[in-house]
Amino acid sequence: MRKARGTAGGDPASGAPNGTVGRREAAIRLSQAALAGVAVAGGAAFFAGRVKAAASAPAIPDWRVPAAGPAARAYAARGDDAARNVRRVLAALGGMEAFVRRGDVVLVKPNVGWDRLPEQAANTDPKVVAELVRACRAAGAAKVVVADLSCNDPRRCFARSGIRAAAEEAGAEVLDGSQLRMVAAAIPGAADGLEVFEPLLRATRVVNVPVAKHHGLSRATLGMKNWFGVLGRGRNRLHQDIDRTVAELGAVFRPTLTVIDATRVLLGNGPQGGSLDDVRAVGAVCAGVDPVLCDAWGAAQLSLGPSELGFVGEAQRRGLGTADLAQVRELGRT
Amino acid sequence: MRWTRRIRILWQGTFLALSLWLLERLAAGDARAFRTGVLHEADPLSAASLALADGGFPVALLLAAALLLLTLVLGRFFCGWICPLGTLQQLSSWLLTPRTRRESLDVNRLRPWHAWKYALLAFLLAFALLGSTQAGLLDPLSLLARGLASGVWPAVLHRPPVPGGILAFALLLAVVLASRWVPRFFCRALCPLGALLGVLGRFALLRVTRGKPACTDCRLCTFACQGGDEPLGIHRPGECHVCLNCLDACPEHALRYGLVLAQPDRPARPDVGRRALVGGALLGLVGAPVVRASGGGREAAHPRLIRPPGAVAEEAFLDRCVKCMLCGAACPTGTIQPALAVAGLEGFWTPVVVPRRGGCEFACTRCGEACPTGAIRPLAAARKTGYDGAPPVRIGTAFVDRGRCLPWANQIACIVCEEMCPTDPKAITVARADERRPDGTAVRLQRPQVEPLRCVGCGICEHRCPVGEEAAIRVSSVGETRDPLNRMVLGS
Repeated sequence: MRKARGTAGGDPASGAPNGTVGRREAAIRLSQAALAGVAVAGGAAFFAGRVKAAASAPAIPDWRVPAAGPAARAYAARGDDAARNVRRVLAALGGMEAFVRRGDVVLVKPNVGWDRLPEQAANTDPKVVAELVRACRAAGAAKVVVADLSCNDPRRCFARSGIRAAAEEAGAEVLDGSQLRMVAAAIPGAADGLEVFEPLLRATRVVNVPVAKHHGLSRATLGMKNWFGVLGRGRNRLHQDIDRTVAELGAVFRPTLTVIDATRVLLGNGPQGGSLDDVRAVGAVCAGVDPVLCDAWGAAQLSLGPSELGFVGEAQRRGLGTADLAQVRELGRT
Repeated sequence: MRWTRRIRILWQGTFLALSLWLLERLAAGDARAFRTGVLHEADPLSAASLALADGGFPVALLLAAALLLLTLVLGRFFCGWICPLGTLQQLSSWLLTPRTRRESLDVNRLRPWHAWKYALLAFLLAFALLGSTQAGLLDPLSLLARGLASGVWPAVLHRPPVPGGILAFALLLAVVLASRWVPRFFCRALCPLGALLGVLGRFALLRVTRGKPACTDCRLCTFACQGGDEPLGIHRPGECHVCLNCLDACPEHALRYGLVLAQPDRPARPDVGRRALVGGALLGLVGAPVVRASGGGREAAHPRLIRPPGAVAEEAFLDRCVKCMLCGAACPTGTIQPALAVAGLEGFWTPVVVPRRGGCEFACTRCGEACPTGAIRPLAAARKTGYDGAPPVRIGTAFVDRGRCLPWANQIACIVCEEMCPTDPKAITVARADERRPDGTAVRLQRPQVEPLRCVGCGICEHRCPVGEEAAIRVSSVGETRDPLNRMVLGS
């Protein structure tokens, strides 16, 4: 096929004598080999992916720690230092060691939904996220992943919220939406058929760390609503019956710990805010093993009673936890 | 291989790699402030078109003027040493050609159709003179950047589909593959930038000359000649890409590239008939008004002709845009796309915002930073969002389609658009209503409505609306900051 190029005396342009391979010929052969290799590998990957997709979607694991028996189901600490608040509530719960064993893969799931600065209180405070990462690392976690599927451009959200820098500095692997692979999962209820990001299924422990803020439809977005952030395309349909769907997600995703960040709370124009006039510096953090109780506490920081939130009532009816605020032990202000 | 050729290949490789890398970084959202468009800024064709169309003197023209001056000294070195599209063609011709050496000799002869590019240049400059910059259609830098930014990156990076991108990529592919049959066919026959440089290149001080006594007329010099400029015959410095392959190929070392002060004969004019030149120019002068009359955003605003934030008014925009799609590559959401029909015939391949694809990020200003010609002005984030106190930069206004909107039409709760709305206070507010579903159950609804004076037209509402293929809230261009006549609310 390529005989035509050869003439007596070889190819003077490439300086190759007869019988040897010229530079051009070598480049052609190499690129052909590379192309063939890529084609074979691509085909294999393609079919492997299809085989995997055909297998039934895995169920969402239950990440709760059965043996953990802190005296109270949730603790809250107040003070100007957010990291210190986190350390105090964790200590009251028996330390992160009570929840994370050596070798665990921990997913820390903050709310990084929006392209906003920490002062605007639309995302979880980066200091709270970083302190949780540090605690997990100190407890012996093999890997700590911080991930969320943002509503705005994911790269901007993770950069401007300060969460990428803070969590990476604390030793976490930070994955934004442009880096996350979506996989099928079995989610009973309205979210059936939606995909979740892959690190969620690989995690052996999950810490849910939302920020407490106003929401135009559900009135408040807290821990159970934060599970929207693990879901892929199609989650915008869940708003059509939000109290039911939030409670359903609360029944499907059972985190090891829920940590409500009320360092700053957003009282209006939620869930993304903007104006600093809508932000109130509360300086509090709550952590517990009862997601409904934590959400009830978070609502109280927004001056909302548990009965004012439809999804809290719905979750209680489903037996996911209690909204009895007396069960949160306040550790006081420092 | 002689050192001249080695160095040339090194230069070509460096500039190709650099331009591809910069484009890749731009698309990957690298936060470092690279001047991705620097090659485009030094493009004399863009600069000339802008100066003719806009009547202004773009700052970028300084870089372009420097390139022109260098061309007067060195010849068309840009084509042979720098232009990444030229390098790609040379690469494809080297890799793909099954030509025999006899065929190479034949194909590298100067042909009459090499003069097409001069007529094309006359046509494009005449078009620009009447206020419509079309140079970007065939400008090699724009052609390459557009083909990659809107054709390749969306496929590789799993971005939303770009219908205009496949055409841009097809043109790029055709240009590169044409070199299989005729080396650098695009450079020789079509490139308007090459033509502009060729007009000056024929006066170049440094050029290839032949030492007559040593030359045996073997014609080996034409085997690898890139420009098809006949180093052996009446050499055409205006066609020569200064690739210096001929020097390398000459077994007698009879050719040299150096200072020629005393011209032995007059510089060979470009082999273009006066008729072709005048014809090209006339075609441009007649064509520009005709194309303009075919419709677009110039005389009347078009609802879906939404330009990126910071874009200047439509008239000036069409003067300045060179259709390079760097803005689209820079856009993190993929909402900026090359227009097919929405901007009219003259706006083909100019960037438009397609909100259903992505929505414009509220505080993002990357498109304006990437634009090399000022068609999209750079904005500070505080200016764009209005956080500096002045009104924000609007690119349109959202309208609720009450016939499709779930709470309005179907008594189903939904507030996704309100939730997504980034302004403060929100431009989308909700009206509470207690209604009954068709089956009689009572529902409490929150029905979205848009406050037009707060809406910036970012389109994230349209992008995120859960109503299937066509959103129930859609942005149209009315209210855009750049056009004081495209308004609806009194006092805005």
